[in-house]
Amino acid sequence: MVKLDEVTDTKIDEALKELFNSDKPWVTIVWDDPVNLMTYVTYVLMELFGFSREKAHELMMQVHTQGKAVVSTGSREEMEHDVARLHEYGLWATLQRGDQAI
Amino acid sequence: MSENKEEQQSGFKRHGNNDYVAQFSPEESEVLVNLVEQIIELLGERTDNHSDDPLAAMVGITSHDSPPDDDVLLRLLPNAYADQVDASEFRRYTELTLRAKKSAHAMSMRIDLKSSPDGFIEVDHDGANAWLGAMNDIRLALGVRLKVQENSYEELEILAPDDPMRGVYAVYSWLGWLQESLIQALMDENL
Repeated sequence: MVKLDEVTDTKIDEALKELFNSDKPWVTIVWDDPVNLMTYVTYVLMELFGFSREKAHELMMQVHTQGKAVVSTGSREEMEHDVARLHEYGLWATLQRGDQAI
Repeated sequence: MSENKEEQQSGFKRHGNNDYVAQFSPEESEVLVNLVEQIIELLGERTDNHSDDPLAAMVGITSHDSPPDDDVLLRLLPNAYADQVDASEFRRYTELTLRAKKSAHAMSMRIDLKSSPDGFIEVDHDGANAWLGAMNDIRLALGVRLKVQENSYEELEILAPDDPMRGVYAVYSWLGWLQESLIQALMDENL
């Protein structure tokens, strides 16, 4: 039988830890930007996330008044997808672990 | 964010259930074509002279993972993570795709303008979204050049007549108004 040396063992440990933690919630954050129109931000949130006009407007106002808002939560992969779509439409967005301070 | 305070003239209007129309003067069309072509050029710049592995490029991976030096490009292609290592990794696998998507918006807008000698534009929902994305990228680029901040509108409104930025600001404001007209036309549908 193949014996795993200690280094490989540690690497596998880390990989497994990452794998099992991958469903931990991550968040997508939209940041305030002086150029983007308020109505445009609302519209993009409705288009990309299927939010109602009220929900999108509420999130937009949160970005506008507080400088940022969490617009989606999910796996890291899902949040990377959301950030990429927001960047495509020029919104300033980042993702991070949900338990990190924003 | 900013609120558009320009008075509505005409801009984009809804036409039927799914179409959006606008009538541009030859001068307006020319300005729009010039701007959108600059965006297309800007988005293509970084890969043009790059010796990327063609296979890697085909699947959207680039060898550069540092953020762009140019402020405009950095705003168009921002970091996805605050952490630099994560940001670089993400950029390596996604920047080409993002450039391609933004270029596609810009090229769609360019084709609409170039294929309309009389300046009459008619787009469907997807076409409208491409215009919105492209106009927004132009405004982001101009905004960086104008150093637009949350409260800088008052200063920009009173630029001296001979200030070269005055013309840039006029175009920036006009584009904001045009973008707003298209958003309003699209939002009517969602009422």
